[in-house]
Amino acid sequence: MSPFKALTWLVSPLALLALWAAVADAALFPANLLVPPLEVWRSFADLLATGELQEHLAGSLSRLSLGFAAGALAGLAFGTAMALSDTVEAYCAPLFHTLRQIPSIALIPMLVLLLGIDETFKVVIVAKTAFFPVALATVEGIRAIPRSHFEVAAVYRLRWPTLVARIALPAAVPAIVTGVRVALTRAWVVLVACELLAADSGLGQMIEMGRQMLRIDVVMVGVAITGVIGFALDFSLRRVERRLSGWQVAGR
Amino acid sequence: MKLRNLRGLLLPLLLIGAWELASRQDAAGAYAFVPLATIGDALVELLGNGELLVNLLASLARTSAGLALGIVGGVALGALMALSPLANRLVAPLFHALRQVPMLGWIPLIALWLGNGEASKLLIVSLAALYPMVLNTFEGLRQVDVRHREVGQVLALGRWQQLRLVLLPAALPSIATGVLQALAFAWVTAVGSELFLASGAGLGNLMMNAEAGARMEIIVICVLCIGLCGYLMTWLSTLLARRLLRWRPTR
Repeated sequence: MSPFKALTWLVSPLALLALWAAVADAALFPANLLVPPLEVWRSFADLLATGELQEHLAGSLSRLSLGFAAGALAGLAFGTAMALSDTVEAYCAPLFHTLRQIPSIALIPMLVLLLGIDETFKVVIVAKTAFFPVALATVEGIRAIPRSHFEVAAVYRLRWPTLVARIALPAAVPAIVTGVRVALTRAWVVLVACELLAADSGLGQMIEMGRQMLRIDVVMVGVAITGVIGFALDFSLRRVERRLSGWQVAGR
Repeated sequence: MKLRNLRGLLLPLLLIGAWELASRQDAAGAYAFVPLATIGDALVELLGNGELLVNLLASLARTSAGLALGIVGGVALGALMALSPLANRLVAPLFHALRQVPMLGWIPLIALWLGNGEASKLLIVSLAALYPMVLNTFEGLRQVDVRHREVGQVLALGRWQQLRLVLLPAALPSIATGVLQALAFAWVTAVGSELFLASGAGLGNLMMNAEAGARMEIIVICVLCIGLCGYLMTWLSTLLARRLLRWRPTR
């Protein structure tokens, strides 16, 4: 792509920015409802300089990593067990597929009543959100492994741990990574939603406070950061996904 | 053999049993884990006074309205982006940038601009439905078989005819996938937006009121209702899509 063509990608975002600045400048709307872009930038710099933004971000990200790690690992273990053992499947599959239908957002009021609005509630809901996509992807990834792989394992009389670690998981890795990516994006959305509804710190809480104090600039900074983080998480796992699928094709 | 088929019921029953047991331990337990009988009573009460039905219908109406707007807008925008490279280059960066912000993250901003009312919720639900529609329409139109396009060119079809006779039918399965995704997103977002924007009717509002009054039984019923409705809607649309697309030769 020529440099000129690459520049055209910037046209629409810049046009929107210019329109926004022009409308704010013309004072068509009250200044506290449509904050000019420069002022949003300034409050971003302010939040950054006072360390407030970093604090909220650190709070959100630590919750995300804790809940996500717990949920994803549990999902991986459960998915492997369900894919490899008919007994586990017979006992767990109906419950699993029933609970899977319930959106995490709908569980927020219930968990608030059960666990209060402390850390536990947020970590639990992030873990729940991460668990199901990872478990499902693991089950499907392992199920898609050709039978011959398992037959080879049977011929070699591989034991269970070896079978899981050397055959089932490596072959299912691309599917699992896709599941992890979906889970991570959803977990982030749900976490921000939880913080909007009930929290004493975190990015969502910052946005909610901004809303209550009618600080649209703070709200916009928060919304933009939420988007950037979501994009960064998704983008990095997409890179991993592409690398891994390249490895698989090359291996065949 | 018969007994073996019932193995799947063991865990759910154990779970329900544990719930009931927890509710009978002490006052705190009964507060958090309401006894099953209370849930039953609440269900009868909510069905009797029509509260459940009114709120459910409000949520469903919001979902369908938002979905309809999202589908129309999404197919139009997706088609525009797929068919016109210029439009794609102008619109795509903005679209993909805005898409990164989680749907529920928009709520505070939209609430400040449009208020807590129906307009905000409708906008959020239609945006949630718009994204998958644009992506799937775009992909569907992009992946039309080159040979099909060539046939269209040989027959000297006009731009509009090409779109109506060749491109759209070929993209329909992808668009149907988009509708399925959009439906799921719209439903979750409708309920989610009701949790945040507490005005009017809706399952989310019913839940938030129940949370304020610590009425766990109502929340449980709402959660089950949301899960069940989401499942039923997806199932029905899958059936419908399969039936409507049955004229297509399966590859």
